[in-house]
Amino acid sequence: MTFDLNLNEDQRQICDAATAMLEANYPVGRLRSGAPDDLAQLTEFGLYTLARPEEHGGTGFTPTEEALVHVLLGKHVVSTRALAGSVAARLTTDTLPVCAAVESGDSLMLIEPSENGLSLIFGTGKLQLVRAASITPAKSLGDGVPVGRARLVDVTVVAETTQQKTILLADLLVAAQLLGVAQGALDLAVSYAKIRTQFGKPIGAFQAIKHHCATMAVETEMLSSLLDMAAIAVTESQTDVAFQVAALRLLAPKVALANARTCIQIHGGIGFSDEADAHQFLKQAHILSRLGNGSAVLDHPAPLAPHHELQGGQFT
Amino acid sequence: MKLELTAEHRAFQERAREWLLANVPHERAPHEGPAARKFATEWVARCHEGGWSGLGWPKEYGGQGLSPDRIVLWYEEYVRARAPSVLDCTFVALNHAGPTLIACGTGEQKDFHLPRILRGQSIWCQGFSEPGSGSDLASLSTSAVIDGDHLVVNGSKIWTSYADNADYQELLIRTDPAQKRHKGLSWVICDMKSPGITVRPIKNMAGTRHFAQVFYDDVRIPLTSVVGDLHDGWRVAMTTLSFERKTAAMGLQLDLSVKVEDLIALAEPRPGTSTYDRLAQLRAEAAGLRAMTYRTLFRDPVTPSDGSLMRLYFAELAQRIYRAAMDILGPEALFDSHWSYDYLESYSETIAGGTAEIQRNIIAERILGLPRE
Repeated sequence: MTFDLNLNEDQRQICDAATAMLEANYPVGRLRSGAPDDLAQLTEFGLYTLARPEEHGGTGFTPTEEALVHVLLGKHVVSTRALAGSVAARLTTDTLPVCAAVESGDSLMLIEPSENGLSLIFGTGKLQLVRAASITPAKSLGDGVPVGRARLVDVTVVAETTQQKTILLADLLVAAQLLGVAQGALDLAVSYAKIRTQFGKPIGAFQAIKHHCATMAVETEMLSSLLDMAAIAVTESQTDVAFQVAALRLLAPKVALANARTCIQIHGGIGFSDEADAHQFLKQAHILSRLGNGSAVLDHPAPLAPHHELQGGQFT
Repeated sequence: MKLELTAEHRAFQERAREWLLANVPHERAPHEGPAARKFATEWVARCHEGGWSGLGWPKEYGGQGLSPDRIVLWYEEYVRARAPSVLDCTFVALNHAGPTLIACGTGEQKDFHLPRILRGQSIWCQGFSEPGSGSDLASLSTSAVIDGDHLVVNGSKIWTSYADNADYQELLIRTDPAQKRHKGLSWVICDMKSPGITVRPIKNMAGTRHFAQVFYDDVRIPLTSVVGDLHDGWRVAMTTLSFERKTAAMGLQLDLSVKVEDLIALAEPRPGTSTYDRLAQLRAEAAGLRAMTYRTLFRDPVTPSDGSLMRLYFAELAQRIYRAAMDILGPEALFDSHWSYDYLESYSETIAGGTAEIQRNIIAERILGLPRE
């Protein structure tokens, strides 16, 4: 069967293994301690070499499996250093810690930077691996993960790429993480709605809550379906890959932020507190939304665009 | 997970594209009355001659027996060719009544009706909703008593699309008054020319009369017209749900992508404008709906209700697209056009076939497992 959107055996196995590893080591509740994630378990899992060919010491998976694993990382709100490391593995074989970074005016904003580490700038049309000479620690949004700021003039480029394939892959993985955040927020909201009782019944029995949850589920299903299409397009280098990834990258932040918002609302008072996990999804969605910006959805012909705009059909 | 177009797929696409290019009518379909019937039945007859009618129906019943991958490729070419909307007066026959007869009908029922449906020779309408039974369908009260070898039907159905054009109706009625709700219903074929049937067309908010209220006054229906077992109509009605993901409804979903393309062509948006951003968003959402359509076809469902996620997304996206069209048209939106007509028609998307609110309840309870009220 050439049209098949079920996970194949390899995909099921890698997802099961990743889920088990994440549940054991990175339950979302860990974030309450405020300690930065130790990513050693991910290195051991082989996260950074998932898609590297076996003859080069990797696992030989495709971007599809890699994206599926990043969905699970997003669901567990794993530090964006894991994401940055996965993308940086395309630019260097160096194993220095890498953090995600984004340009803002004449400065570089670094998410969870480490001493002597590198930063991956998710820029427009290019990815740059850089070393920042001096990083000034800063207070982050809502006392979340540590952030720092460096002057762009103090930044040295170690490696960079403008290769479309790598940029699309980066956008795919960012979107995969955002989908994971959306799923995590949905799951948390639904499980809370089942146990929180008011007026003598679980709040999930009330339509006001049900409908919020259903809306989250619909949007998540849409995004998840689109992720599959984009991941397959990247893996199989289909002609509509730029469009599929652009569409995914445009919608992913909106769905993740909306789900995180609704998750907080469904939790009521505790949702506004630092003691529940709802706000973690919101903050992670804001961080991920700033990484990479994809290309404009209207710049690439859509699969069902008029024939003259498409050359050679939608798949190759 | 893979989506791989083989040489055979490409040849199929090419064949579909060429046939559609040569055969799609250039004029728009009329919305109501005998003109709508003539247009729709001629189009189905032409599709049948070309070998494009009953795509998913088994070959033994005169269908094409195509697999879902071929069917989705056909509908992609279909909507790109701006072929007539699949949701015309032939929709119920081809996508609901026909498949139901194939699954549950007698040999005689199949032999008589299926060839007529495939050739566009008979129009069917649906008789499920009632004035007192909308979202709560199982409360329906149109009933029949058995008199010899006939059922005698009394009551009323409403929101019956194309009732005035239809030859037959799939009619869900209460045949066992001792049983309540889903039990004691029967699914019967009602000949719309039977004495005692009155059709009152209802003008809708888009200004056309394609739906109606139907009254039954001692209408006699032979017991041989019961589909499935007597009093087992709910099961028969549910049987067709499994067909739904393979029906022409996918044509409607894919068509939204084309509507967005047409809107982009109409608006010619410039980067940096709000219209540009809005159309980019809609184009991405239409791609999202297409992805859901593919998932529904090519991934095994986790729960039988999975399709309700896609139906709800479709309904609300359709409304967003037509709202955008009204804004893009500007003052011209106040005049009748296919955009303004479709805009008004789109209000039915979140009502017909289960309101958005009912869909959300289904999603919350059957997919997410939230407690019933």
